[in-house]
Amino acid sequence: MTDEAKDIWVYLQQDREGLTKDSLEVLAAGRKVASKMNQKVVGILLGEGVEALAKQAVQYGADSILYVDSPAFKTYFNLRYIEAIFTMVEERRPYAFLFAANELGKDLAARIAYRAVTGLATDNVQLEVENYSNPALGNFENLLIQIRPDFGTRLARIYTPRHRPQMATVRPGNFTPLEPDPKRKGKLEKFKFVDVEYPAKVQEVVELPPPELDLTGADVVISLGLGILKDASGHARDPKEAYRLAEQLREAIEKRYHLKAVIGASRALIYAEVKELEGLISKANQVGQTGTTVSPKIYFALGISGALQHRVGMMRSGKIVAVNTDPNAPIFKIAHFPIIGDLYEEVPKLIARVGGRENSGVGLSHAS
Amino acid sequence: MDLVLNPHDAKAVEAADFLKRRVGGKVVALTMGPDMKLIPLMKPLYNAEVMGVDEEYVLSDRKMAGSDTLATSYAVSLGVKKTLERHISPIDELAETISKSGYSDAVKAKAAAFYQANLLPNRVYSELPAIKGSVVQRFLGGDLTANQAVIELARVKESLSHFIVVSGIKTTDGETGSVGTQVAEGVSELLGKLIPHATYVEDFDVDDTASTVVSERRIGRMVQKLEMTLPALLTISTEYRSRETSAASQRDTRSNNYRGKVLQAQKWTADDLGADPKRLGLAGSPTIVGTGIDVGKPPVQKFLNKSLVFAKPVPQFDFEGKKYGPFDKTQLAVDLPPALEARLKEDGSVTIFGYDMLAGELFG
Repeated sequence: MTDEAKDIWVYLQQDREGLTKDSLEVLAAGRKVASKMNQKVVGILLGEGVEALAKQAVQYGADSILYVDSPAFKTYFNLRYIEAIFTMVEERRPYAFLFAANELGKDLAARIAYRAVTGLATDNVQLEVENYSNPALGNFENLLIQIRPDFGTRLARIYTPRHRPQMATVRPGNFTPLEPDPKRKGKLEKFKFVDVEYPAKVQEVVELPPPELDLTGADVVISLGLGILKDASGHARDPKEAYRLAEQLREAIEKRYHLKAVIGASRALIYAEVKELEGLISKANQVGQTGTTVSPKIYFALGISGALQHRVGMMRSGKIVAVNTDPNAPIFKIAHFPIIGDLYEEVPKLIARVGGRENSGVGLSHAS
Repeated sequence: MDLVLNPHDAKAVEAADFLKRRVGGKVVALTMGPDMKLIPLMKPLYNAEVMGVDEEYVLSDRKMAGSDTLATSYAVSLGVKKTLERHISPIDELAETISKSGYSDAVKAKAAAFYQANLLPNRVYSELPAIKGSVVQRFLGGDLTANQAVIELARVKESLSHFIVVSGIKTTDGETGSVGTQVAEGVSELLGKLIPHATYVEDFDVDDTASTVVSERRIGRMVQKLEMTLPALLTISTEYRSRETSAASQRDTRSNNYRGKVLQAQKWTADDLGADPKRLGLAGSPTIVGTGIDVGKPPVQKFLNKSLVFAKPVPQFDFEGKKYGPFDKTQLAVDLPPALEARLKEDGSVTIFGYDMLAGELFG
C-alpha cells in the first residue's frame, strides 16, 4: 500500500493580517520533510478571496495550493471546513497532512483523522523522515517520524506506517518560517466543493486584537522562575526587584540591538500567584508545555530550575542562558551558557555589559 | 504509575451538572480503562458538586489495551451509543406492552421495574408523590388511550436523542486533546447522523426544550458563538464557569429526571458494546509509539567564569610533535595537555569565559 498516496499537505490558517505565523512554521516543517522524501508540499487553503494568500504561501515554501474560495468559507465553521477538507483528502489521498497544533488545527485535525480512518500524532516538536521496519508489519520507506512530548520525561517517536495520510499537528514555536522567495512559482488550483447541510451554525464571531504580549514572535525571551523569591543565601527577596531587573535587561537589549524582547515566566511562578507580581505577569507570560512554546534567538532562564514541562517549551531556542544558584538544576543540562550564581548579582552584570558601553571590547578584556 | 481522575474532566462534570439542573435528565459518566482501578476512582463523582453523576460505566477489556486515540474514540463512541440504546429500549418495550396488552397489570409492572432500574424518566413513570401525570399514570387512569400513550412515548424517545456529550479538553498523560472531537465523529458514524462539536467551550447554555445548545469558545484570536442542534459534543475549557440555575428550573425539569443514582459502576466489555475487535486496542490503532528520545542533548556548554576558551583566533601550530588547531575565538579550550594549557594562558591565547565574551556570543 505504500504508496499511491503522495504529497505533503499543509493546512494554512489566516487572520486579518494574512497567513498566520503558526501556518508559516508548518509550511517550513512540510518543506523539510517533503525535501527528504522527494515529495511536493501542497498548501490547503479555505476562505473567501484567498488567492493572494495562496501566492504568499508559495513564496513561503509551498509547491502548489489547493484552495476553496467561497463566501461560505469567509467565517470559520468547523463542520463545513471538516467536510471540505475531508472531501479533498478522499479525492487526492495525500501521503502526510500537517496542521498547526493550535485551537483551530486541533478543532479540525482529530475529526478528519477519524473520518479518514488514520492516525493523528499531536503536538509534535520535531518531524523527521526515516525508513521504518517492524517485524509484524514490514518495511516502510520514507516514513514520517512524528516526535512529540511523551508523558513523563522524554520525547516519543510516533509512526503511522499503514494508514494514509500520516497526520500530525505541529506545535507552534518549533520551526522557523522560511524566508519568502518572491521568485517561487507554484500552481494554484481551485477545488470544487459541493456544500451540504449542517446541524449547527455560527451565530457570531469576534476577532480579538493581537495580544500585547507576543511570546512566539519575540527574538529574546527573558523568563523568571520561582528562584526569584530568594537569593543565594536563602533570604527572601522582593520578586518585583527581579522583575525590574528583567525589565531593565529587556529594555537594554531592545535599545542596543534592536531585537524584540519580552518577559516570560515558568509555570511554577505563575501558579504560585505571587502577590507582588500581580498585574506584571500572568498566564500570558507562561512558557512551557502547558503555556506557550517558544524558540527565540536568545532565551534567558532566570531562577528557573527547568522542569521537563518547561524545557520542552523552550529547548529549541537558539542560545540559552540560565542563571541559577543550584549547580544541579536541570535547566543547566540544556543551557548553552550556564551561570551558576545568584540572579540578583548576575543579572545587573549582564545589564551592564549589554546596556553600558558602546565599545565593550567584546572578548578582549582578558587578552594582551 | 498510579491512575488518577483526569483533572481536566472536573470541568466536564461541572458542565454536565449544570445541564441537569437546567433541563433535567441524567448524568452518565463513561470512561475506558482497567475496571478494577477505575471503579474506585470514579466513586467520588457520585458526590461531585452540585448534584453529582447518576450512573457510571467503565469500558474495560483486554482487547482495548494499547488503544491510540482512534481506537479509544471508537470504543467510547460505542459506549455513548449503548447508553442511548439502554434508555430507548425500555420506552420501546413499554410502548409495545401498552399496544399489545392495553390496560393491564403488565404495563404497571414493566414500568415499575424499569423505573426502579433507573431507566425511565419521571414523566413516563414515577413513584414520587410530587410527580403527577406521568404517561403511565394517565394511561392507567384512563386519561390517555393506548394510542395516545404510545405517541407520548415516541415524543419522550425523540427527546432522549437530544443528548449532550461533555468531555475535558485533554488528558494529562497523553495530552492529545483528540478524543473529544473524535467521539463526535465516532458517534456520528454509529448513529448515521452528523453530530456537531465545539472545543474549548468557556460558556454555554441550552434552550428550555433542550433542542439546541449555544456555546462560546476561543479559537486563537476568534471568540465564536456556535449554535448546535442536539445531539452535540462539547469539550470544556479550564476557563469554564457554570451558569446559575434557579430553584424553579430545577423543580420544573424534575419530570425529566430519573429515580436516582445507581451507585455501583458497571463494566462494559468489547462484547457488551458489540465492538469490532479489529477496531480496538493495538489492532485498531494506526499509530505506533517508537523508541523515546532524551530531551535536550547537552549542547556545547560554556560556563560563565569557569570554562576556558580561546580569547582570539589561533592558527594551527605544533606542540611536542602534535598538531593543534586552528582555533576560533571563544572556542572551548578542552582536552589540551596541561603544559600547553599553561602556555596558552600565559600568552593570553586562552581565557576564562566572562561576561564580555558572553555578550559577544549572544549579540555579536
